[in-house]
Amino acid sequence: MFDAPHSQVLRLIAAQAVNTPDKVALVTGLQRVTYAQLADHVEGAAAYLRARGIKSGDHILLSAQKELEFVYLYLAAHLLGIVNVVIDSAAPKERLDYIIGIVHPVAMFGGAVDAEGYDFIPFNEVTLNHDKLDKDILPSLEPTDVADVMFTTGTTGMPKGVCLTHANIAGSASNTNGFIGTCADDVEALALPLSHSFGLGRLRCVLTVGATLVLVGNFANLKAFFNVITQEHVTGFGMVPAVWQYIKRLSGRRIGQFAHQLRYIEIGSAALPIEDKLMLMDLFPDTRICMHYGLTEASRAMFCEFHESADDLDTIGHPASSQVEVCVLDDNGESVADGVDGEICVRGNMVISSYFLDSDNHDSFFGDWFRTGDWGHKGANGSFYLTGRKKELINVGGEKVSPVTIEKAIMSLGIPDCACIAIPDPNGVLGEVPKAFLLKSDISIDEIRQELLRLLPPHEIPVQWEWVDELPRTSSGKIQRLKLKK
Amino acid sequence: MEDQVKEIIARVLNVEIGDITDGLSSGDIPQWDSVGNLAIISTIEQELNIEFPLEVLFDLTSVQSIVNEVNLLMNV
Repeated sequence: MFDAPHSQVLRLIAAQAVNTPDKVALVTGLQRVTYAQLADHVEGAAAYLRARGIKSGDHILLSAQKELEFVYLYLAAHLLGIVNVVIDSAAPKERLDYIIGIVHPVAMFGGAVDAEGYDFIPFNEVTLNHDKLDKDILPSLEPTDVADVMFTTGTTGMPKGVCLTHANIAGSASNTNGFIGTCADDVEALALPLSHSFGLGRLRCVLTVGATLVLVGNFANLKAFFNVITQEHVTGFGMVPAVWQYIKRLSGRRIGQFAHQLRYIEIGSAALPIEDKLMLMDLFPDTRICMHYGLTEASRAMFCEFHESADDLDTIGHPASSQVEVCVLDDNGESVADGVDGEICVRGNMVISSYFLDSDNHDSFFGDWFRTGDWGHKGANGSFYLTGRKKELINVGGEKVSPVTIEKAIMSLGIPDCACIAIPDPNGVLGEVPKAFLLKSDISIDEIRQELLRLLPPHEIPVQWEWVDELPRTSSGKIQRLKLKK
Repeated sequence: MEDQVKEIIARVLNVEIGDITDGLSSGDIPQWDSVGNLAIISTIEQELNIEFPLEVLFDLTSVQSIVNEVNLLMNV
């Protein structure tokens, strides 16, 4: 068995392989992988990576597909000190180009919808070189070494590389499991994307407690998801609010049939209306319904369990564990009194110390406090409340979209100027959707929309449009998007 | 009608019409996620001026099932 002093995640998985070798760790379709096999395959994948000449400190690009080889390579990279750069296989070319351009990966695995010009090694061509890993020459690594780089949406429209250390991801798993109570007896269905902090975090949470993880493509085929819950005796799953709206729209209260077997549901990435919280509590009276407040840079910083907070469902909760601190600071980084709005800042075992590019660190920290960009206050009861967002990102069903990205795409079509803001989704599904304000032009909205389909993923295309004579700008020329919201 | 439904699905998901086979199911390709599925349902409803009954939405899990339901609603 491998030894990984730097990685608590790997140590816990290795311990499961020793203590409960025959317990099923992963399920995908008809395939089942025990903890002993998982540990063996991780070693096999490590031997494969090493045979390709990939070494500690190198970056590899992993396309987040629900394939077993993704899991093996992801963990094998941790074992060898190789840094995983996890990407969405549906990432637009521009985003892919940017990420590859700054991290310079030595190899790319999986594939991407728009991978033209890049040499991805398909997961089914990865050979697991079992028994070939010379464990005597594993590199000496530290918990503070970077394990993963996840790219999040920056306010400027360019992605920001979030450097998560081995200690960060272990801290996050430990905090989250401690709050939710996931245990070895649990079986979790994972339909969230692995390219997001939430989905990848769930994978680590489940495997570090020795539970079983069932990999499901996504929530689109709800009938198939419900079948998995039945057939695999699923006891927990994670979802974003947009998925909950989807489940409601397509199946009404039907999911309540699983109330007797679901021990926990984790929700996060965007706000959930109170009436939905009440509906979930009604459908699942004995289930721990845990809503997290978090972001890629700080994983799950706070939690609120709906039944425990039944009288206070407005709150975003309290710190996820004793290892996490949350405070509210003013523009100068000074503490404000309880009840006074300021920027919510967090620090703790799961919070990053820096971004991949030093230029992204600017204005991101007050000392060791990470600035979330969210505004809110601390209540007298010690819980925290959100009141707004400083950053202007649009949260489309959990996908953060920069208005600048949409504006650039629109202006590339010949529109002289435009600005995009978040508006509530008129269909009540996605939370927020983009609205565009455009300076008058000869191009029709239909033409713009059609052209944008080539340039942007569907969720980034504005659903409302308004022609204006001018856009509000500051004296320095910066668009005042907040004024457009009025 | 089948061709029109397939054309709408291809357009909404931004994929080639040739990729939209009868057996293709939601979740089979990255573009056909839950958001894509909702977009398909609402675009078909809007462009063909029909409304899927609530009880069938859960069963619209493939190109074939959508085509069948549209045919039923339009008495084709």
